[in-house]
Parts: sequence; structure tokens; C-alpha cells
Amino acid sequence: MENQNLSLNHKPGHIKHDGHNITGFIIFLCSESIIFFAFFVGYSVLKISAPVWYPEGINGIDTKMPLINTVILVSSSFVIYFAEKYLHKKNLWGFRIVWFITMIMGSYFVYGQYVEWSELTFSLQSGAFGGMFYLLTGFHGLHVITGILLMILMLFRSFLPDNYKDGEMGVESVSLFWHFVDVIWIILFGLIYLWQ
Amino acid sequence: MNTRIRRLKKKSFSNTFIIIIAVVLNILISLLMGYWSYSWLPIQASEAAHYVDNLFAFETTIGTFIFLGCTGTMAWILVFNRAPKYDESNGEPLEGNLKLEIVWTIVPLILVLAISTYSTNVNLKLENLGAKIKYNFGAEVPFVEEKKVFDYGPIDVISRQWNWEFVYPNGIHSSELHLPLNNKTNFRLITEDVIHSFYVPAFRLKQDIIPGSVITYSLTPTKEGVFRLRDAMFSGAYFSQNQTNVIVESEDVFYKWIKDTVKKEPQNGLNPAGRLYEKRLKNGNRGWATVKPAPDPKVNEVGSESRPHDS
Amino acid sequence: MTIVNYDPRLVKTKDPYPKGPNDWKRFFSFNTDAKVIGIQYIVTALFFLLIGGLLGMLIRGELITPPSDLFDPTVYNGLYTMHGTIMLFLFLFPILSGLTNLLVPPMIGAPDMAFPKLNALAFWLVPVFSIVLLISFFVPGGPASSGWWSYPPISIQNPLGKIINGEMLWIIAISLSGISSIIGAVNFVTTIIRMRAPGMGFFKMPIFIWTVLAAQLLQLLGLPALTGGAIMLFFDLTFQTSFFRVEGGGDPVLFQHFFWFYSHPAVYVMVLPVFGIFSELFPVYSRKPLFGYKFVAVASFGITILSLVVWVHHMFYTGTPMWMRNLFMFTTMLIAVPTGVKVFAWIATLWGGNIRLSTPMLFCLGGLFNFIFGGITGVMLATVPVDIHVGNTYFVVAHFHYIIFNTIAFGIFAAIYHWFPKFTGKMFYEGLGKVHFALTFIGATLNWLPLHWAGLLGMPRRVASYDPEFAIWNVLASIGAFILGVASIPFILNMVSSWVRGKSAPPNPWKAIGLEWLLPSPPPHENFEEDIPTVLNEPYCYGLDKPFVEDEQFYIEKSLKKS
Repeated sequence: MENQNLSLNHKPGHIKHDGHNITGFIIFLCSESIIFFAFFVGYSVLKISAPVWYPEGINGIDTKMPLINTVILVSSSFVIYFAEKYLHKKNLWGFRIVWFITMIMGSYFVYGQYVEWSELTFSLQSGAFGGMFYLLTGFHGLHVITGILLMILMLFRSFLPDNYKDGEMGVESVSLFWHFVDVIWIILFGLIYLWQ
Repeated sequence: MNTRIRRLKKKSFSNTFIIIIAVVLNILISLLMGYWSYSWLPIQASEAAHYVDNLFAFETTIGTFIFLGCTGTMAWILVFNRAPKYDESNGEPLEGNLKLEIVWTIVPLILVLAISTYSTNVNLKLENLGAKIKYNFGAEVPFVEEKKVFDYGPIDVISRQWNWEFVYPNGIHSSELHLPLNNKTNFRLITEDVIHSFYVPAFRLKQDIIPGSVITYSLTPTKEGVFRLRDAMFSGAYFSQNQTNVIVESEDVFYKWIKDTVKKEPQNGLNPAGRLYEKRLKNGNRGWATVKPAPDPKVNEVGSESRPHDS
Repeated sequence: MTIVNYDPRLVKTKDPYPKGPNDWKRFFSFNTDAKVIGIQYIVTALFFLLIGGLLGMLIRGELITPPSDLFDPTVYNGLYTMHGTIMLFLFLFPILSGLTNLLVPPMIGAPDMAFPKLNALAFWLVPVFSIVLLISFFVPGGPASSGWWSYPPISIQNPLGKIINGEMLWIIAISLSGISSIIGAVNFVTTIIRMRAPGMGFFKMPIFIWTVLAAQLLQLLGLPALTGGAIMLFFDLTFQTSFFRVEGGGDPVLFQHFFWFYSHPAVYVMVLPVFGIFSELFPVYSRKPLFGYKFVAVASFGITILSLVVWVHHMFYTGTPMWMRNLFMFTTMLIAVPTGVKVFAWIATLWGGNIRLSTPMLFCLGGLFNFIFGGITGVMLATVPVDIHVGNTYFVVAHFHYIIFNTIAFGIFAAIYHWFPKFTGKMFYEGLGKVHFALTFIGATLNWLPLHWAGLLGMPRRVASYDPEFAIWNVLASIGAFILGVASIPFILNMVSSWVRGKSAPPNPWKAIGLEWLLPSPPPHENFEEDIPTVLNEPYCYGLDKPFVEDEQFYIEKSLKKS
């Protein structure tokens, strides 16, 4: 077929190749938060409509240690923010150290959760309350562990040369995930520990 | 006046004429369907039935009008606007008509609001649903304080996998539900295992029965006869067998039944599911998993599996 | 610039060009091209349509006579449960994902989806959870048998007491399906938001893209609620927790809320793309602009928002209080308004058009006809007093099959025929297509129209046996079902033989306006590659002096050259 009739005096369109990952991740996080909201609604409805909420022998749950855990987790969100700032200023070792501190704080939270679980006198099968308690805290704990694993991955990648040539989307996404895990915990803490 | 304008005026006059005829025809057919719709429903045997049937007839009329209007227009288009073979030319380039689009947004909005209001009023008139009280499953069903006054009751409706048992205030246990005509009767809907549903098509009433709760319910039968009571919420293997009869009788006959039946010796009541399960076991228990049916209820009034029903 | 008249000599063009995508092995690999993934989804889904359809035939075989004489009732319960589950999760959702995968990138001028590897992963989860579901037929105790709703307490009774049971596998399969759908939704939404061609603002997008965006947003917002409910159900079943177990203080009605909070929007996830398909096809086969494009586009989002606040209409007679029933009746009735806007717009699009009754158009017209009927019975069901009488009866079964099969499946068939030439590069046999339509329309109408009356008279759903007064309706329905079974034969024959040895398709056999029609048939791996057109107007300007893209002639000649 002849070529000369094809005029090239139009500008071909250009596809944006970057930025998709953050958009996709934010959309994913919105969806993930709805699972938690579903659990929160379930907890509230079951609590309000139950004739007896706490299992036999339980009058409530201890809030002191979970409160300490909460403070550690919430503070870690500020720490991760500083880690991001170091990376933005291309201060790689500053980033790595502060990032590692975040991981330590997150791990302490998980450890604290485990200690709390081992000292509780009710189980997953202890009525609707037992089920909801372990489901909520366990599901959240899984997300904290996932966050820590993702942070380990980001830490390793920070040692690869030219890792941040196309931007810092991986670190941004994990940081966003960490904040998300934090906000979920704040709501969870209010729901289970404060509303008794 | 030149010929072309005269022809156009004639065309628009005949078009309007056709539209008027079509709309009138549509209205007539819709009203006919609305009238006819009463015959699609079972016998009206409760106070609620009249209200429900009237609402349904109203919806059928409006629905038929909309359906015939839309599909009639489509049929007209398919007859008169078909492209000749190999003709790929464009049609009239109409992009939209703001006035028309607003009209067909507002008019349906008003229509659905009207239907909703009508239905809410019917709901208020029906007044069947009472309270739903949670209790410790397995313990005794709690007594429910009733603010309204009833002519008869409360009758305990106990649903199981897969039979019904009715317990009357004077201690009768029955496999069939006897009710006094024109008496507002209240019930306590109870299940001993999974969710069932108390559904009497002739009454147009259905209420699911939730384990762990007792639901109070009331209704007024307005016609004598035998009507089917069916479990309408899937409840397992022999769910289809979980049916019995509602026998509405005049007050004299009913109170005589009350007096006579309480003296009868308790026997095994209606439980066709039990018979089917025994047959299955005899045939080597072939089939997929099922829980065992509840044992035959011990009842004064055994009822009859072969009793014909009116609706 | 107007579209060039297509040259009949071009029908005889050669098969797709040498470096083009015509290696059959790519359909069995982890291929990241959305066009390959789309076809993988569609063919897998059509296979499961046959399986689900076979289960449907067995159901109708049992129901052609009043007593339960074909299978043991426990087998019947497993069959109808798996019929619903397979039709929804192995046919409908995958085929809609497939059509979306095929159509979205070319329609918006993108080379592929935003996350191609995730896209492939989302597809390959389908065979995985399909196998889980099929295996469940063979575990002791049989498959899940509590309906596709799986309401507790019946679904957690687990009569044999085994850890691995049909219900447990069912929950796992549904959860995997949910993961696949959420991955897909993230992908579709990101692609549509970020990868449209220059000049394609939201109000220049094809309506199909609008409806896909609306549907996928619903998936994102609704699926997690089902996932939450499914996790709790799984725990109740396997670990004896008490979220819904009454003995431990749980609430069975809470499950219903979780379930329907997703499953109602789910039906809109299924129907919205089909509304999009109707909006695409009616203009093409009437050769007229879509009437009221902006209203139709916005109505898609009206439906989305409203569909999130109507779920209790599935629970009007379960354990809900009267105020809740009235409230949700009101919100449910409102959905009729944006839906009506679309229906009237389609009819207005047909009005004054130059109608061509090709197979895709036949399915659209049949689908619209059925939808008007199904929509009206839907409004009837929305009113509480009527729903209390006909809820959980065959009236509901008839209504939802009118929507799911007689509207949605019709729309899917229309889409498959319409875009078959574009993505396979071959024309299908029009005669066989018309036979398929006739048999499907007759079978579907005969199958579900009579069942409305069975429901009005009080025949409950999910029963294996029924009182004899319902017999006539069931006999008619079963005959219709068997006709539907036969209708699959011309369809399969057409698809297979057309793809293998049909005539080569030109780039634009229907003379339609759209970015996908400016590509060769089949399109190259990255669609427009680096040369994406700039969009000037929405793709419905038939007969108007409004060009679709800049330099349209350039793209038309390029697509002809490549063929």
C-alpha cells in the first residue's frame, strides 16, 4: 500500500508511564480498609445487641499494656515520616537507620500483642466477643507483620545502586501502608479497649 | 398553502391520532391486566391479602402501561425504520433533548415516590410484625410482654428441620395450625435449629424465624378453608417437605376442637421428612451429607398428610 | 472529517500480519497482554457457562415433575447451590472481566492495562478456584449445599463433622474469587483514571468505560464486606467461633447484612457493563448518536451510589424491623430512576434511526425487551408488602433470571458477536448467529416467564419437590430450559469454526465510531503503540459534523495497511 498519502503532521499522543503504582496502591488501601470497617461494624452490632457481651468470668480487659503498645505504634508513624524525609534529601544512611528504628518499634508492637494474647483467659471460641477480639487484633497484627516484612524488603533494596532513579514509589507505598495500619489500630483500640 | 406544508400538517395530524389511539389502547390493556392480576394470586384468606393484592394490581397496571409503551415504541421502530439491504447511511442525528430528558427523570421519580408512599401505608395497615427478642439459645423461650390486645393466642409456632409443631395456650400440641375465623391471633415464632420461614400464601404473609430470637407475629384470617403453610427459607435436605396445613374454621368449630383435642392422647405427628430419611437409610444412606431430621413431634392433633388444600 | 466508506474488496484481506499475535500457545501461558488475558477469561467463562447450564438442565429435569424423583434431595441441594455459584463466580464475573480487559485499553487508546502482571495473576486465579470448587463435588459429604448465599446456621451445620468439607472449599473458592476481582478492580480503575488518550476527558469517554468505572468502584467498595463475612463464616465453620453461631451468642442476621452489602452492588457490577454494551451498540446499529449521552453517563454513577444503600431489600421478611424495611424500600425504588433514564435513552436512540438487524443488534433488542419486563418485576419486589408474599418464591427466581440471563447474558452475547471480528480478525457466520438468537430468546422466555405465576401462587424456591398445582408452570419452564441447552450448539459451532476458518475481518466491519475501530483486526500487541490519537468528541456522532479524533483519515488508512 502507498505510503505517501499518510500525512505525519499530527502529534502522536504520549502515555504517562509513571505514577500508576501509587494510584493503584491507594485504591487498594481504600478497599482493604473496608474489610476492617466491616469487622468494626460487626463488633459494634454484636456488642450492642448481645444480652451478655463478655464471656463468663470476664468483666473487661486490661488497657494499660495495650495503651503502651498504641503509643509505640503511633509514634512509629512519625518516625517513618522522618525516614521518608531523609530519603527525599538523598541521605541514604539517615533513611536506613530511621527506617530500621520504625521496624524495631513495629516489632515491639507485635511482641506486645503476643504477650497480651498469652495472658488472656478467654479464647477464640469464647462467644461472639472472643471471636471478634482475636479476629480483629489478629487480622491487624498480620497487617503489622506484613508491613515489617515489606520494610525489610525496602531496606534491602536501598542498597541496590540507582534504586531511586525513577522515584521512591516503593518506600512511599510502604509508608502509606504503615500509616494505614496505624489509623486502623487507633479505631480498633477505641472500639475494643476504650468502649467497655 | 403549498402541497408540501399541507402534506406535513396531514402527517403530523395522523401521527398524533395514532399516538392517541395507542395510548388509549395501552391504558385499556393495562387496566385489564390489573384486573386480571387478582386471579394470578391464591385465595384471599386474611385481612392482609386484600391490601397486598390491591397494591399488586396497581403495580401490574402501571407496569403493563410502561412495558407496552416502551416495547410498542420499539416495535413501531422495527417496522418502520429498518435499513434497506446494503444501506449503511446514517439516521437522524438527534443528540438529545434536554426537556425530554428532564421529564423522563422527574416523572419516574414522582411515580416511584408515589408507589413507595402507597406501600408504606399498606405496611402500616398490615401491622403484623411484633417484637424480636433475643434469648439464650437452648434455654426456655422467654415470655413476651404484649402491648396490643388480641382475640386469641399466643400460639407457639415451633419450626424444626423438618416439621412444624403448634402449641396452644391450653396445652394442645398440634401438627396442623387451626385458627378461628376473623380473630386477630398472635404467635410466637420459634426455631430449634436453623432459620425457617412461616409462609402462608393464602394470607400473603411471610416471616422468617431466626434461631436465638423469638419473633411475635399476628394475623387475622378472613376465610374458612384449608391453606398451605410452607417453610420458605431453605433449611436443608428435606426442606421441601417442611409443609403443613392451616385450617381456618368458624369460632364454634374452633373452640370445640380446642376442647376435644386437649383430651387426646399424644402421638407422633406429621413428619414426612422423617419417613423419607428412614427410606434413605434403608437404601444404604446414599446421597450427600445431611443432618438427621428432628424426631416426630408428640402431638394431640396428628393432622393429615393427604388433606386437600384450597390454596 | 467523515469516516471513509469501507471498500468491499477489503473483506478479502490476508490473515493478520506475520509478527502479529496468532500463536495459539499464548492463550495457555502467563501472558500479560490484556487482549490475550481477555480471551482467556472469556473462553474459560464460556466453558463454565456450559457446566453451570448442565446443572441447570439437571435442576429443571428434577422439577419437571412434582415429586422429588430424579435425585436424592441432598444431591438436588448441592446441584442448585453449585449452579448458582458456578454461574456467578465462574461465568458471569470472569466473562465480564474478560470483556473489560479486551475493550478498555483499545477504547481509551492505552497500550495495555496499568498493571499487566497483576492482570495475568487475576486471570490465573480463576482456574485455581475453579478447581477448588470442582473438587468440592468429590469430598465426603458433597459440595456446599446451602444455596449460593450460604446463610448460617444451615451452612455451618457440617453434618459429617469433617474439617475438609464442601462448604469450607466453597468459602475458600469464593475468597480467591474476591481477591481476583479486587486485583482486577484496582487495575481497571487505575487504567481508566490515568491512561486515557489525550483529549479524552470524562465526558468524551465511551459509555462502556463509564459503566466499567462505576462497576469496578462498586467491586472495590463492596467486595471487602463479603470477604469479612466470609472470613467470619469460615471461622465459625472450621474453628467453632460464634460470630453467627447462635449457641455462642452470635447473630445469623448479621451475616445476611455482610453478604448482601456486597451482593446487591454485585448485581450492578454485572449489569452496568451490559448497560454500557447496549449504549455502545444501539448507536452503531441505528446509525444515530446516543440520545442524551451526558445523562446516560451520569446515571451510571447514580446507580453506583444508590446501589450501596439498598441491600436490606433482600431481607424484607427476615429478621429486620419495620422501620428498616420502609427505609430500604424507599432507597430501592429510587434506583428505578437512573435505570429508567438509560432505558428511555436507548429507545430514543433507536427512534428515527436506520436499523440494521445484525446478530449483535438482535441480542441488544432482545436484552432491552427482557430488561424492561425484569425491571418492572423488580419494582414490584421493591415494595415490602408484595415482597413479603413473593419473596423466596419462584417469582424472585424468575425476576433475577430475567435480569441475569435474559438481559445480562444477552448483552454479553451481543458484545461477543460485535467485537469478535475486531479481536479475532475473523467474521462470524451471521446465519448461525441469528439461529442462536432465536433459540435463546424462545428458550429463555419459555423458561422464566411461566415461573412468575408459580411464584405468585406460592411455590417456594430451592425446593426439590412441590405441590401438584404448580406442575404446569414447571413443565413449560423445563421445556424452555432444554431449548436453551440446544441453543448453545449453534453458538459453539459459530465461535469455533469462524475463528478457525472464517473470512478475514476488516478493521471496521460495522462502520462504527470508536478508538478500537481505528485499529487493525486483530490489534497489534500495544494497540496504538506510540502513536495515540487525540480525541475531539465522544464516539457517537453519527451524521453530525463532529470529528472523532484528529487526523482520522491517517488512522483509518494505517489500520487498513496493517490488515
